[in-house]
Amino acid sequence: MDRAVIVDMNNLTKMFGGLCAVNNFSGHVLEDQIIGIIGPNGAGKTTILNMVSGIYPPTSGEIIFKGKNLCGMEPHKINHMGIARTFQNIRLFEDMTVLDTVMTAYSWRAPYHPIETLISSPRVGRFDKEIKEKSMHWINRVGLTAHANSVAKSLPYGMQRRIEIARALASEPVVLLLDEPGAGLNQTEVQDMVKLIQDLFSELHLSIMLIDHRMEVIMCLCEWIYVQDFGKKIGQGTPEQVQKDPVVIKAYLGEDISNA
Amino acid sequence: MSFILTVALSIAAYSIAVLGTFMLTGMNGLFSLGQAAFMGLGAYVSAIMVVNYHLPFAVAILIAIVVAMGLAVLVGFATLRIRQDFFALATFGFGQAVTGLMTEMVNVTGGAMGFSNIPRLTTPTIAFISLAVAIVFVWGFRRSHFGKDSLAIRSNELAAKVEGIDVFKHKLTVFVLSAAFAAYAGALMAFHTRYVEPAMYGWIASVTWIIIVFFGGRDSLTGTVLGSIILLAAPEALRFTTAWRTLVYCVLILVIINLRPRGLFGTWELSLKPVINLFRPKKHQEVQ
Amino acid sequence: MQLTVLLQQVINGLSLGAVYALIAVGYALVFNVLKFSNFAHGGVLGISAYAGYIVANQLHWPLIPVILVGILTGAVVAVLVELIAFRWIRLQKGQLVYFFVTSVTMLMALEQVLIIRFGASFESYPYTLLKVKVIHLGELTISITYLLSLVLTIIAFSVLLYILKKTKIGIAIRAASNDLVATSLMGINVDQIIVATFIVSGFLGGLSGVLYGISASLSPQIGQIVVKGFIASVLGGLGSLKGVAMAAVALGVFEVFLVATIGSGLAPVVIFLLMVTFLLVRPQGFAGVSFMDKA
Repeated sequence: MDRAVIVDMNNLTKMFGGLCAVNNFSGHVLEDQIIGIIGPNGAGKTTILNMVSGIYPPTSGEIIFKGKNLCGMEPHKINHMGIARTFQNIRLFEDMTVLDTVMTAYSWRAPYHPIETLISSPRVGRFDKEIKEKSMHWINRVGLTAHANSVAKSLPYGMQRRIEIARALASEPVVLLLDEPGAGLNQTEVQDMVKLIQDLFSELHLSIMLIDHRMEVIMCLCEWIYVQDFGKKIGQGTPEQVQKDPVVIKAYLGEDISNA
Repeated sequence: MSFILTVALSIAAYSIAVLGTFMLTGMNGLFSLGQAAFMGLGAYVSAIMVVNYHLPFAVAILIAIVVAMGLAVLVGFATLRIRQDFFALATFGFGQAVTGLMTEMVNVTGGAMGFSNIPRLTTPTIAFISLAVAIVFVWGFRRSHFGKDSLAIRSNELAAKVEGIDVFKHKLTVFVLSAAFAAYAGALMAFHTRYVEPAMYGWIASVTWIIIVFFGGRDSLTGTVLGSIILLAAPEALRFTTAWRTLVYCVLILVIINLRPRGLFGTWELSLKPVINLFRPKKHQEVQ
Repeated sequence: MQLTVLLQQVINGLSLGAVYALIAVGYALVFNVLKFSNFAHGGVLGISAYAGYIVANQLHWPLIPVILVGILTGAVVAVLVELIAFRWIRLQKGQLVYFFVTSVTMLMALEQVLIIRFGASFESYPYTLLKVKVIHLGELTISITYLLSLVLTIIAFSVLLYILKKTKIGIAIRAASNDLVATSLMGINVDQIIVATFIVSGFLGGLSGVLYGISASLSPQIGQIVVKGFIASVLGGLGSLKGVAMAAVALGVFEVFLVATIGSGLAPVVIFLLMVTFLLVRPQGFAGVSFMDKA
C-alpha cells in the first residue's frame, strides 16, 4: 500500500536581508509518517517549520499541501486546511485556563456573529458546549484532566508542553509540526513525551514533522530524517543511515554518538 | 431635569463610549488614540440629520452609527495590520484629521464655533437602558469565543494565528464595534448637552477613556463600569475644572499602574451566580 | 510663486524641519533602547519651552542662557518622566501596553500642568530676545529665528554624533539600542544607560521646545508636535538616526508647502493619509530595518 505525499517542500529558500536561513531545502512528508529535522542551532530547522505554518513566506520555492501551494498563505488559513503546530518557546495565553486555551483552537469554527452574543441565541450556547466537550477530549488525551481549570501558565513546564500539544490537536489537523517538544524537560518527562507522541500517532491519522535535539527522541520516533547545517541540507535518510553518515557525524553528531 | 439626573445621564452615555474602549483597548490591547473622533462623528452626523434635515431621532442615530462603522472599516483596513506603536500614531493622526475636517467644514458643522441648538431628545430612560444593553452585549461578547480570542490575540498573536484565528478580521470586528459604541454615545450626548464642538473629540478624550479602563482594570468589566462611574462622577461632585480633572486622572492612573497594574478591581467580576442559585430548585444545587 | 517667496518658504520649512529632526532623534533614541514610543517626549519639550519662556520673559535673560535653561530643563523632565512613568514597570517586567498608557498619560499630564499655570492661550517669547531680527540676503528677508534653529540643530547633532561615537556612555547607548539584554550581560548597568539615554533625549527635546517656541509659536498644546517626530521616524525608519533626521527635515519642508496650499485645517488629513500609506507600503521606512518576531 503506497502512502501519498502529504506535504511536499521544493527548493525552499528563506533570506532575512543578507542572511540565508534556509538554502534550497527540498523534502516531503508522507501520510501517516513521522519525519525529523535535526541540525545544530541556527541550521534553519525552525524556519522551515515557520514557512510551512505560514509565519514567514518563503523567499523562493513552494510548499504543496492538499494540492495547493501554501506560499504566501496566511497562517490561519493554513491551519484551517489541516496543519497545526507547537512552538519551541512555549506560547500560552496569559491567565487563561487550560480548558479555555484549548478551546480557542476551535474558535474559527464558530457559526455565530457578535450580535448573537447579545441575545444569547441558542447557537452560541450549543457551540460553546460542543467545543468544551471536544477540548476536554484532547485534554484527557494528553493526561491533564485534573488541571483543566487551572491557569495554564501556573503549571509546570512539562505540563505546559502538553497543553500546547492538546491545543494543536484541537485544530484536528492532518499534519502536526512539533518544534522541540522535549526542550526543557528532564529524562523522565522526555520519555513520557515520546510515548505520548507515539500513542497519538498510532491512534490518529496524522503526519508529524518533528524538530528535536535529543537523539533518543529522533531515533525512536522518526521514520525519515533530514539533516540541516547552516541552512543547507547536508544529509537525509533513515535513522540508521543518518547515524552512520560521516558528513552528518562530522557536522553534528560528533565522534561519541557514532560509538553509541 | 434635576442636576443629579443630568449628571447621571452624562455618565451613562459616556460610559457607553468607555465600554467601546474596554473592548478595543482593554480586551484586545489595541491602543487607539482616535476613538473620540468616532464619538464626534456620531454627534455631528446625528445632530445635522435632525436639525438640518429634520429626520426622526432614531433614524438620525442609526445613520450616524452606520457612518461611523463605515469609516471604521476603512480606517481599520488601513491601520490594523501595523505594529502597535504605529497603530497608536496612525489613529492619533486619524483623530486629528477628523477634528480638522470638522473645524474646516464650517458651512456644514459650524466649524470651531460648534454646532448648537440641538433639541433635547435624550431622556434618562434612553440613556440608562442603552447603558444596560451595552453592558449585556459586552458581557456576552466576552463570554463567547470572541472574548477568548481577544485575550489570545492580546497575549500572543502569533499563537492565535496558527491555531486558526483570523486575527485581522477579529481586530476589524472589534474596531468597528467600538466605533459604533463611541458614535452612539456621541449622539446621546449631543442631544443632551445640546451643543457640540470639535475640541470635545480630541485625543485627550480618547486617552481619558483608556485611563478609565485601566483604572478599573482592563480585565474586569464590572471594574470598568464602576471605575467609569467613579471617575466621571467625582469631578462633578468636587467641581473641578477640566484641566485639573484631567490632571487628577493622570496622577491616579500613574499611581494605579505603578502600584496595582491590574486596576482597582483587578479581575473581580460581579457574579450573578449567587443570585441565580437562590432561584434554582434544591436538587440542582446538590448535584453541583 | 515668486522665487523669493519660494526660497523663504523653503528656509521656513528647513527651520521647522530642523526642530522636527531634534524631536524625532530624541524620540528615536529612547525607542531604540526601550523599544516603545515615548509619547511623554512631547511633555518634555513643552515644559522646556515654557521654562525658557519664563526666564526670558520674567527674568529678562539673554538668548544663550535661555536656550541653556531649555536644554537643562529637558534633561531634568525626561529623567523625572523615566522615574515616574517607566522605571517601576520596567523593573516589574510589565507588559508593553502599560508603557503606552503611562507615556501618553505623562504627555497629557504635562500639558494640563501648562494649561493650569499659563492658561490655554498662546504666549510668545519676548521680542527683545533676539537683537537682530532679520538679515537680508539680496532680495531675501530671512528671520533670524529660522537661522537660529538651523544652526543650533546642526551644532546639537554634531555634539550628539560625538557623544555616540566617541564617549563611553554613547557607545553603551548604541550597544543598548542593538540589544539591551546582551548589553546588560556585559556587565553594563542598564539603569544608568537608560537614564543617560533619557538625558540625551531630554537635551534634544528641551532644545527643540525652546526653538519651536521662539521661531514658531508657544501654547500648552506645543507638546503635540512630538507627533511630527514620530511621523518622521515612520518615514525615515527606526534604527537609523540619520534617516529619521533627514525624513524630519523633509517633513518640515513638505508641511510648510502643504499649509501654504491647502491651509492648516486640511493639512492633518493629508499628513494622515501619507503616514498610513507609508505604514502599509514600507513600514520600515526609507532607511530602516525590518522588525520580525522570532517565532
